[in-house]
Amino acid sequence: MSAVTSPARQASSGMSARTINRIVIYGLLALFAIFYLMPLFVMLVTSFKTMDEIQNGNMLALPHAPTFAPWIKAWSEVCSGLTCVGMKGYFWNSIKMVVPAVLISTLLGALNGYVLTKWRFRGHTLVFAMMLFACFIPFQSVLLPMATILGSLGRFGVTLQNATGFNFGFGNSTVNLVFVHVVYGLGFTTLFFRNYYEAFPTELIKAAQVDGASFFQIFRRIMLPNSLPIIVVTVIYQFTNIWNDFLFASAYAGSGDVMPMTVALNNVVNTSTGVVEYNVNMAAAMIAALPTLIVYVVAGRYFVRGLMAGAVKG
Amino acid sequence: MAFLEIDGLKKRFGSVEILKGINVELEKGGFLVLVGPSGCGKSTLLNTIAGLEQITEGEIRVDGRAINDLHPSKRDIAMVFQSYALYPNMTVAGNIAFGMEMRGVPAAERQAAIDKVAKILQIGHLLNRKPSQLSGGQRQRVAMGRALVRDPKLFLFDEPLSNLDAKLRVDMRIEIKRLHATTGTTIVYVTHDQIEAMTLATKIAVMRDGEVQQFGTPAEIYNNPINIFVADFMGSPAMNLIPAKIDGNGAGLSVVLDRESRQPIVLPMPGAPAGLAAFKDKQVIFGVRPEALTDPEGAERNGSEIATADCHIEVVEPAGSDTFAVTNLGGKGVVARLRADARIQPGTSTPLAFNLSKAVFFDPATEKRIL
Repeated sequence: MSAVTSPARQASSGMSARTINRIVIYGLLALFAIFYLMPLFVMLVTSFKTMDEIQNGNMLALPHAPTFAPWIKAWSEVCSGLTCVGMKGYFWNSIKMVVPAVLISTLLGALNGYVLTKWRFRGHTLVFAMMLFACFIPFQSVLLPMATILGSLGRFGVTLQNATGFNFGFGNSTVNLVFVHVVYGLGFTTLFFRNYYEAFPTELIKAAQVDGASFFQIFRRIMLPNSLPIIVVTVIYQFTNIWNDFLFASAYAGSGDVMPMTVALNNVVNTSTGVVEYNVNMAAAMIAALPTLIVYVVAGRYFVRGLMAGAVKG
Repeated sequence: MAFLEIDGLKKRFGSVEILKGINVELEKGGFLVLVGPSGCGKSTLLNTIAGLEQITEGEIRVDGRAINDLHPSKRDIAMVFQSYALYPNMTVAGNIAFGMEMRGVPAAERQAAIDKVAKILQIGHLLNRKPSQLSGGQRQRVAMGRALVRDPKLFLFDEPLSNLDAKLRVDMRIEIKRLHATTGTTIVYVTHDQIEAMTLATKIAVMRDGEVQQFGTPAEIYNNPINIFVADFMGSPAMNLIPAKIDGNGAGLSVVLDRESRQPIVLPMPGAPAGLAAFKDKQVIFGVRPEALTDPEGAERNGSEIATADCHIEVVEPAGSDTFAVTNLGGKGVVARLRADARIQPGTSTPLAFNLSKAVFFDPATEKRIL
């Protein structure tokens, strides 16, 4: 009889063990999620509160009378240093920097990956290894050399200005930042695309060659349309990095009305006149964080998928 | 002058010689199959014809014009790849028209060409689908359509059927043969499957280690293999290659086949090849295809040189259309092909008829045919 009863007992004890496991796993996950989401929650509720409520109420409490006033003030009135015109100008500065930088670095990374996998030349592994090495260079170590280069570019811009009346972007702070971010993003974007294209069937390239497509036609018509997952990964990665960058932004565009969002936000928070307006600061910080959040929400599911594709097949 | 001429073609990767001087030619409208085990260089040879690999030495001519320095798109060839290589982001119609689009053919002309090819291959209803929505056989058709639409001088097929399941493979094989018959195109076809080679080809080049072992019609290759490798590679079940001794007396030569614990079989060879006399009292390899070793009732009635000998049957394999019997001669398992309804029991002795007019002999030292 014991032979008959014991499997049933095992099954029931196995079931309960599994349930406990589930509870522990989901409990821990929920705990960590709360832990990570707490600052966001505090920022969000604080940004909708009045100063009175902040000073007298609980930090975690929901706003009694939600108000958009802090957001409006952060967008169009708040003081960054001595100029009080809000964040909107700096927000657009960041957009003007991040969009070209992301597009150019992604496109060049794709082109590099395409050449490094499908048009191999003598020494392609060495070139790739050196590009990979660029990923591990600490940005602090390139601040001064890059400043020197940007300085020369600026002087060249002045020469052009004198000669032709237009500086062609040389010496422009936004153009400088785009240049810096493209150069330092290339290592990563090349790595992403190379690994993705490594698993890309070479027979497609051969077929296109027989069909008479040229180097760039193959790139544009065959490679790029089949690279959506890795393009999304690269765009998210580059967008987040460039948008959130503070080091290069403060070093090469750290003052005046050319500041990107991150530098301006720092100035807003550090401005010490009168009471600290936490609600406005929080709203400004939310505005600064919003674009990356939107990019994640819109394209996030491709992010994991694309990373896995590169990681497993590469 | 042949339509496709490959002349002393060599291909080296560094110091490794992949193709060691290939000489092959094919008449217009011919079907050349390059066959051989993996790593024999057959796909590399095809890629050099396509222009996807550069050659080190030699010349490739199509219709009298040397093409070996031209870009693939300038060679007037079309290629069907093993993986089909359909562009996943384009529809079937887009795939078929891509080459024309690259050459700047006007849209109306492209559409007409697509419709024509779709009709030939019966893929009209698939034109707006993406390759991922097609089955293996449909993808194969689209890949052929992409090649067909260009109306090239030369078609290249790189193991086009090896990704299909067994039944579909047979269907598509017939399809390709029909296509070749109706369109009269010149085709070079790579496969490792000797049945595909036999059924499709007008000319076969059997390759090994970067060399053409034998080049000829399927019948020549099958009936008169030039060496042991070709004899063994072509045909299924493979040719029986039995170690044997040549015996001679006043009347003529005879073949002696050892048997386990029994008297050797002695087969008189009145029609032996002239070269065999030099091997008197020496070892040779006696090659006989399973269908030339059969039950006496099933043997060719008009076969001039039929010799019958009792053989001990070890295994019987009824295959439906035929029955295969395995016996042991010269220390090797030997397959005989009998009628489907042959009454035969494993473990018994039964007379088997050797069709000696179909038998071939090889020198065991050089592995070459004794003629």
